[in-house]
Amino acid sequence: MHVFLLGVSHQTAPIDLRERLDFSSRDVGEAVEAVAARYSAGEAVVLSTCNRSEIYIASDDPVRAQEELLDFLCSYHQLPAEAFRSHVFVHTDDAASRHLFRVAAGLDSLVVGEPQILGQVKDAYQVAATHQCVGPLLTRLFHGSFGVGKRVRSETGLGEGAISVAYAAVALARKIFGRLDGRGVLVVGAGEISTLTAQHLRSQGVGTIAITSRTAAHAEALASAVNGHAVPWSEMRGALASADIVITATGSQRPILTRADIEAVTGRGRSAPLFIIDIAVPRDVEASVSEIEQVFLYNVDDLQTIVQENLTRRAAEISRAEAIVTEEVQRFTAWRRSRGAVPTVVALRQRFEQIRRSELQRLDSKLGALPPDARARVDEVTRLIVEKLLLTPTEQLKALPDEETQIAYTEAVSRLFALRDEAPASPDADEVDTGQPNRTRS
Amino acid sequence: MTILPLLLYVASGAAYGVHFARREPAMGRTATTLLLVGVLAHTFVIGMQTMEVRHIPFANPSRAISTFVWLLTLSYLYLEITTEERAMGVFILPIVVGLQTIPALFPGVENADPVLDSPWFWVHVASLLCAYASFALASVLGLTYMLQFKEIKKKHLGYLYTRLPSLLTLDTMNSRAMTVGWVFLTIGVVVGIVWTAQARAVSPDDPNLQAMVFNDPKIFIAMLTWGVYSFGLFARSALGWTGRRAAWLSTVGFLIVLLNFLPVSYFVTTSHTFQ
Repeated sequence: MHVFLLGVSHQTAPIDLRERLDFSSRDVGEAVEAVAARYSAGEAVVLSTCNRSEIYIASDDPVRAQEELLDFLCSYHQLPAEAFRSHVFVHTDDAASRHLFRVAAGLDSLVVGEPQILGQVKDAYQVAATHQCVGPLLTRLFHGSFGVGKRVRSETGLGEGAISVAYAAVALARKIFGRLDGRGVLVVGAGEISTLTAQHLRSQGVGTIAITSRTAAHAEALASAVNGHAVPWSEMRGALASADIVITATGSQRPILTRADIEAVTGRGRSAPLFIIDIAVPRDVEASVSEIEQVFLYNVDDLQTIVQENLTRRAAEISRAEAIVTEEVQRFTAWRRSRGAVPTVVALRQRFEQIRRSELQRLDSKLGALPPDARARVDEVTRLIVEKLLLTPTEQLKALPDEETQIAYTEAVSRLFALRDEAPASPDADEVDTGQPNRTRS
Repeated sequence: MTILPLLLYVASGAAYGVHFARREPAMGRTATTLLLVGVLAHTFVIGMQTMEVRHIPFANPSRAISTFVWLLTLSYLYLEITTEERAMGVFILPIVVGLQTIPALFPGVENADPVLDSPWFWVHVASLLCAYASFALASVLGLTYMLQFKEIKKKHLGYLYTRLPSLLTLDTMNSRAMTVGWVFLTIGVVVGIVWTAQARAVSPDDPNLQAMVFNDPKIFIAMLTWGVYSFGLFARSALGWTGRRAAWLSTVGFLIVLLNFLPVSYFVTTSHTFQ
């Protein structure tokens, strides 16, 4: 039983093709059920985000599965195969698990270390589980990926530090003010970044957001978008007095806030800091304002520098994250291999148990003369002998280093003990303890 | 036995250091746990000493330091648990460890001078020790504030920036610690004055009591400390001296406290020795 993956991502396909192959516009559960029922051994997960569409299945015949899944994509998305065949990537077993683990870690994302992808992977698994489309193989695979995501986030700095100007500004605000509830924000001029920053601040629970712009309509529009209120341009300086965070982004060629303006609102009357984010180019706020003790003045270059430093730091964490992925891939592979030996181990145990019971039955007439506890003792001893004999071979079969060796050994065991031959029927042949806590049949 | 709290504090300090550097939550919890166990052991030691002399141990400088460390650790734990900020541990624990080595290595002997049996007296000392513990905390918070302020003002958002609490949190904690400290300091000083008057009425010839005047170094510096912190509180509310100015004040104030505690206690005072 193999893990098989087929998909497209932002690495291999342009956005218009990805949009056509996206599963999330229709019921993903329906797609998962279709794949699980017809193209796999009953296990399937579909991972569909704006940057990737990937199908994971358990399959006995990956080569056939590849063609069948391509056909499925054609019919499901109503696209001719030639349109996307060259953009599709496929992976099996180790390569498939490595791909999924890298995706969950954020290593395959457009912005390395972005946080949403792990949640998306978890959701994809959840949908498949709800539709009963997962079994032991994909369950273990996806849980492994959740583990990787968690390890990368806690053991490396891959997901740390703001990587957009708006987020960087909000992170700074939190380092200055701690909690943002009750803080007043003033937005001067409504542009893209100031809108984004105001939205982030609102989602962080900031108090009032006042917006002012030379064009009243812009101010009104942003005010309704972020649940704030518009202030006439003429009252800007008044609004300044009650603001803790000021975002300026006007198109003005000359500074609109001078040192005198800021000094008028800081000083004895206000003891708390004033955080000014000047996104405008040319700058809206006089540079000398940063000399005022209570003021923290950051312009767009400063924020860009922070973002750059964070991106560099993230890049430095990539190798550590890759190391974690490699470790976890090895762990998953060892698990997968040990499972490959399970049918043979089970068959071997069954054979030994059959022999034990049939011998005991044969001697029943002679054993009948013994008292009950002596008979129980005999039963016990034979059982223990069988257990001890099976212990080492079972461990060895599960711990073989590679697929080829495992196939060779399990084949050898099957032949040596004629495991595939029909054995004489014996009582309770199904009650065989494999000796493992989570017995599974694949 | 007295070395056990010290060892636990050392272990806890190491854990706080690792937690600060790597920001692993599990290590932070380990640090807090070790500190709690250390405080427990320390409480036990202090409890035994209290039973021995029937008041909180403070009459010899060594034991006073031990009690001070105990109060400091308790205050820090309170602050950490209520704010859920573990970053400060790496700054507080070195002070705890450094000071606790003194009683651990030089235990000294507690004496049972009868003058110390007055309840006024040990309220006086307990109050002052609480005050000094608060001031120690405030000064560390103030120093941390200054570090964080510099990182943000200079726009070098580096190692410390990511690990330290926010500016306003640090400032609020500093303010609280200074206020609490000032309250205990005032109580301690007032009780000291009352007690002196009382004790003089009882034993007018005691040379120690005679020396308890304003120009005894220890008393003078205590009044100076009270002055500095009173000004600090006034300046914060009336003059808007928050942030860095408050931070400086709390550091200066605590340096004076340290001055009083160590050199003055050991070498210079006449009024506060009890033979």
